[in-house]
Amino acid sequence: MLEADNLLVRRGQRTVLANIDIQLPPGQVLGVLGPNGAGKSTLLAALCGELPITEGNVSLDQRKLADWPGQERAKRLAVLPQSSSLNFAFSVNEVVGMGRLPHASGRVRDAEIVSEALAAADALHLAQRSYLALSGGERQRVHLARVLAQLWPGAEGQTLLLDEPTSMLDPLHQHTILQAVRDFAERGAAVMVILHDLNLAARYCDQLLLLQDGLPHAYGPPSEVLTADALAAVYGLQVLIHQHPERGHPLIIAR
Amino acid sequence: MRKKILLACAGLLFSQLASASDALPQRWVSAGGAFSEWVVALGGESKLVGVDSTSQYPRSLHSLPGIGYQRALAAEGILALRPDILVGSSEMGPPPVLEQLKASGVRIELLSAKADVPALQQNLTTLGQLLGQQNQAQALLSNYQQRLQQQAAVVKQARQQHPAPRVLLLLSHSGGNLQVAGKDTLAAWMIEQAGGQSLGEHTGYKPVSSEAMLALDPQVILLAGSRLQGDAARNALLEQNPVLAQTQAGRDGRVLVIDPTLLVGGLGPRVPDTLATLTAAFYPHAKTLSAEAGQ
Amino acid sequence: MTAIVRPRPMLLALGLVLVLVVWLSLALGPVSLPLGETLKAGLRLIGLPLEGDATQQADLILGQIRMPRTLLGIAVGAVLALSGVAMQGLFRNPLADPGLVGVSGGAALGAAIAIVGGSLVGGLPAAIEPYVLSVCAFAGGLIVTAIVYRFGRSNGQTNVATMLLAGVAMTAMAGAGVGLFTYLADDATLRTLTFWNLGSLNGASYQRLWPLLIVAVAVALWLPRRAAALNALLLGESEARHLGFDVERIKLELVLCTALGVGAAVAAAGLIGFIGLVVPHLMRLLVGPDHRVLLPASLLAGAGLLLLADLIARLLLAPAELPIGIVTALIGAPFFLFLLVRGRT
Repeated sequence: MLEADNLLVRRGQRTVLANIDIQLPPGQVLGVLGPNGAGKSTLLAALCGELPITEGNVSLDQRKLADWPGQERAKRLAVLPQSSSLNFAFSVNEVVGMGRLPHASGRVRDAEIVSEALAAADALHLAQRSYLALSGGERQRVHLARVLAQLWPGAEGQTLLLDEPTSMLDPLHQHTILQAVRDFAERGAAVMVILHDLNLAARYCDQLLLLQDGLPHAYGPPSEVLTADALAAVYGLQVLIHQHPERGHPLIIAR
Repeated sequence: MRKKILLACAGLLFSQLASASDALPQRWVSAGGAFSEWVVALGGESKLVGVDSTSQYPRSLHSLPGIGYQRALAAEGILALRPDILVGSSEMGPPPVLEQLKASGVRIELLSAKADVPALQQNLTTLGQLLGQQNQAQALLSNYQQRLQQQAAVVKQARQQHPAPRVLLLLSHSGGNLQVAGKDTLAAWMIEQAGGQSLGEHTGYKPVSSEAMLALDPQVILLAGSRLQGDAARNALLEQNPVLAQTQAGRDGRVLVIDPTLLVGGLGPRVPDTLATLTAAFYPHAKTLSAEAGQ
Repeated sequence: MTAIVRPRPMLLALGLVLVLVVWLSLALGPVSLPLGETLKAGLRLIGLPLEGDATQQADLILGQIRMPRTLLGIAVGAVLALSGVAMQGLFRNPLADPGLVGVSGGAALGAAIAIVGGSLVGGLPAAIEPYVLSVCAFAGGLIVTAIVYRFGRSNGQTNVATMLLAGVAMTAMAGAGVGLFTYLADDATLRTLTFWNLGSLNGASYQRLWPLLIVAVAVALWLPRRAAALNALLLGESEARHLGFDVERIKLELVLCTALGVGAAVAAAGLIGFIGLVVPHLMRLLVGPDHRVLLPASLLAGAGLLLLADLIARLLLAPAELPIGIVTALIGAPFFLFLLVRGRT
């Protein structure tokens, strides 16, 4: 399990993240919300060791993250960044196949997993195409398939961190992707996902962390975190909170 | 009967001569402009099978296969010419190529590229032996020395009446900037021998700023490397370098064209003629040797 | 489809082409040896006692002149191409070239110091003279690369963008140094320096060859083992880290590999451009960017291309030789323009 203990991150003189105490228990999806500059990406970077922490501790299975050897860690922790700078004409199969590099599962099994991961990300039809010929949304789904393949099929003890995986997707795919992420969690993996869309967060996340200026404003289930007062305070947005008629989760409507 | 004996003796002599010349190298490759000129002067042009990039004179050498720059020789290329001997200075290289040539049976004869008479003597003697023209080599050498002595005498006499003119030698590389000959060059040696005062204080050929050239104020300018001749060359030089037109040489129009192939590789056969021409130019009012006098 | 051809047949084809070019390199030259003599000389080299008509000459031409030259060409071509792949992976840019980390500039400076410095000092003792140039060029390449790498390091991390800029700056400084020595040189030395800057396989001998061969073999064995890491690196540094690779160590290894390989190649044969840029690029178009295929393909193609260029260099103006750097530039530059026009970069 990935845990953050009393996290404090400073950049120069500025404190960009403070008082963060969170856990990512297996089978749960944690959504991270907040306005731009609230520290969401900083949190994700700190949790996966990309950003040096000023104070506090990040540990995976009770062991400091920095103490984990690279390959072992890669079998347990996968990270999907916000954007990719891949500039070479790999095929989609090859890109997703890189997710299998930490494993020694053999070519045949790897090929199966790649196909299954692509199917989960609704990108199987792109398998033979060149990565550079894809649109932004298609590329995003390919990278999601890659990190899914890295942890496939998803089990307890594995953690997936996603930075805005739906930013370039059309409405249908926004849902398919997040459903795939939920399915992953159902199989036991822990997931943390940064989202901008409040309704998507309300629907697909078990817990929410609302950040403001680097500090946690609220932490709990969606129904508790997504209140009109909290959203007005953090986003400066006036909203109405209704309940989704079929599913029951909060539905946020801007006034 | 007598005829037969005579014929037999003649035949013997002939075969001796033939075998003697068989011992001499027949196929020559020359790496050095001056050396090639001397080989030609000693009657060996028919034996030359290849020359380097500095062997530009006489013009007939252009028709021979070129072996490139003397410091970047190609072993296999030279071997393809099936030479018996390679003459050149110690500048030849790269060393592994020379080793490969030696191993293949090519004789490598190192001559001196220094610009002085003892070196010339050494070179001519060696070349004379190798070409079987010892007598002619001696003759060329004594003539050369004699002419140099005459040259010195003429200069001494002219100097009594006129001071040595300040001379700059400019080397122009097709369109590039002009370089001035420094104090250790063959050009400087020739200027001094011809009774001039070479103005380059540096070593080798270096670019000198226009201002510095104006300060040096040469009385005579020697121009090497120009494609033009005579008046056309002078006009082109002064047009492209207006600062030079302000020097005494420019104002008096005393600009001479000199063949750049004379300036590399040691003393060549044309040097005495050139010295005579230069002296005539340096001391136009004095009585000097003409280029035709003295053989 | 990303790769135009399937990898295994392509590698086989490249291997066959290389064998053919090696054969041509041994069989052709300014001295026209009948094919039979070349064959016999070749067999004699590996120990079979066969007599021929021109035994001694054939032995000399083949064994002492063409064989070391061919081996040098293979080693230099392979190392330059592999280093090109390494640098294009390090900078994640298909336009990268081994010279970007400063190794070529540094080697040129080292050579200038050796050539001009040697003549300024009045000549070096004959025993060490042949080695001074190579050693200085190699050392120059390593030192400048080390400086560039050091500039790229901060807080235990190597910043590739900073390294790129430092490489540009150090190459410029090395160029200034070379310029200074050019000014100090006398005419003969100047021409030597100029020719060195154009590169040549001339004068190859077994004695001077073996240091480069050792380095070339080391690089050729070692880089392909990093193929998976190089693939991951192309995704991005943090992505590669998350896939479990020690990215800092890989970057150091890539820089070291380039510095040693290119340094040794330049020390042995002077500056030869375009192989490190053009060969990986061309191979990527043919076999795709997967380093597991790209590395061996570039090795074979680099060696073959350089040998071909050398053939042209020594046959075109025989008995003189064209510096090989000119030929590779004449092949490389138009090809690059062609790529630009096709819009593949």
